[in-house]
Amino acid sequence: MNTRNKIKVLYIDDEQNNLVGFKATFRFDYNIFIATDTAQAYAHLKSNPDISVILCDQRMPETTGARFFEEMRQQYPEPVRMLITGYSDIESVIDAVNNGHIYRYIKKPWTDADIRSAIEEGNKYYTTNSMLAARNKELQSAYDELGKFTYSVTHDLRGPLLSVIGAIDLAKTMEDLPEIKELLVMMDDAVKKLDEFIRNTHEYYNLKRGKLVPEDIDFNKIIADATAIFTISGRMDNTRFTSEVFQDEKFVSDEVSIKIILNNLFSNAFKFQKKNGADKFVDVKINVRDGKATIVVSDNGIGIHESHIGNIFTMFYRATSEEPGSGFGLYNVKDAIERLNGNINVQSALNEGTIFTIVIPGMKDGAK
Amino acid sequence: MVQNKKLNFIVIDDSKLDCFIAEKVINSTGKSAEVRSFVDARNALAHIASGATDDDRHTVVLVDIQMPVMNGFQFVEAFQKLSAEITSCYTIFVISSSINENDLKRVDNYSCVKQFLNKPLNSNILGTLLAQL
Repeated sequence: MNTRNKIKVLYIDDEQNNLVGFKATFRFDYNIFIATDTAQAYAHLKSNPDISVILCDQRMPETTGARFFEEMRQQYPEPVRMLITGYSDIESVIDAVNNGHIYRYIKKPWTDADIRSAIEEGNKYYTTNSMLAARNKELQSAYDELGKFTYSVTHDLRGPLLSVIGAIDLAKTMEDLPEIKELLVMMDDAVKKLDEFIRNTHEYYNLKRGKLVPEDIDFNKIIADATAIFTISGRMDNTRFTSEVFQDEKFVSDEVSIKIILNNLFSNAFKFQKKNGADKFVDVKINVRDGKATIVVSDNGIGIHESHIGNIFTMFYRATSEEPGSGFGLYNVKDAIERLNGNINVQSALNEGTIFTIVIPGMKDGAK
Repeated sequence: MVQNKKLNFIVIDDSKLDCFIAEKVINSTGKSAEVRSFVDARNALAHIASGATDDDRHTVVLVDIQMPVMNGFQFVEAFQKLSAEITSCYTIFVISSSINENDLKRVDNYSCVKQFLNKPLNSNILGTLLAQL
């Protein structure tokens, strides 16, 4: 076992001989820190916050072990505290135990076996507690997210539904066919928006809960598929879709994540085009070299105002009311990129266009 | 206010369909002189702040809560800062799909908001409200 994985133990005793003997006995099994006073002990804790077990002598000139534990646990609650003491101090030990300042006490003179079993037990307790704390933190963040999620979902799911209910209500009273048709087009948009939201939610959960599946990524094929889809939709609003892929090496990554990233960026680039722009385009360049994929998606659309750029990756953030959106797309993009240990960079100028540059390192070759 | 006097309306909603529905519902009450819709609350605010009214009619504003860029609450807060001369010409209703209690409570905090309405808007509800003005 190397020093990194050894249990870190701090021992405080005013008698130098005890410290030296302790360290000599246990240094092969544990990573031992020693201190002759509490100041030294605090210095060790500061530079090694992952010390899991602290042993302290009860009788020291400046303070007692029990008092030291009572004080230090305010700042460092995690390490497991053990008091080393003789029988004559039994009253203060009982107090310390009852007040929760210490996990157990070791009576003097101790045997190697006493110490060893105390450290092992204490470390088990420490590990369980740390895991529990980490889990609690995860849970709390999942819970916070759920709250935010539910709030937005009531709006994003109910909104389009209520619009359609209102429209149906209205249509019942209308006689004019062209007007009813106009209404149908708008109802269509509302239902599509709802569908988009549900699909994005699905993507979100795929990303959050799904495991990454490393496989060979053929960017030529992915772009060919995307070209087939976006050329058709682009033709309807006069937007060209151009691509350039350079890949002559194997690239391993999670295809679902890659597709989520590309599809969201492409559909945004098409959606946020100028209404009457000339020579509208969406361009993608992919370059795979030295185990890294660099993806550049650029367009000459409406661009993003400076004041919004910092927020575009925030969940449910929408920078414009011009086009319907769920405020989910770029959040998912960023989430997917982070999971792949990549990074994303955005340059944009209002009314000129936007360039997203993404760099993703290939995953370890686990592909079949 | 005199019962049969016509009113102007401003609808603020980022959903074009909801603006359309509101316009139709408003027209069906037979009380509207003019209806203007805004998908961006900032434009509505600029319009109101400019004081550009070509008549002395009272204006009813229907504003959605959840909108990008400027939401309904931000709109109401900005509206309250306008001069009394302007704000006295308007009656504001907040209209939303929100069933969030905090949103509903928050609406109560704004004295200039007459009432909270649930979507979808229909002519019965609107007719009743307008009759109370």
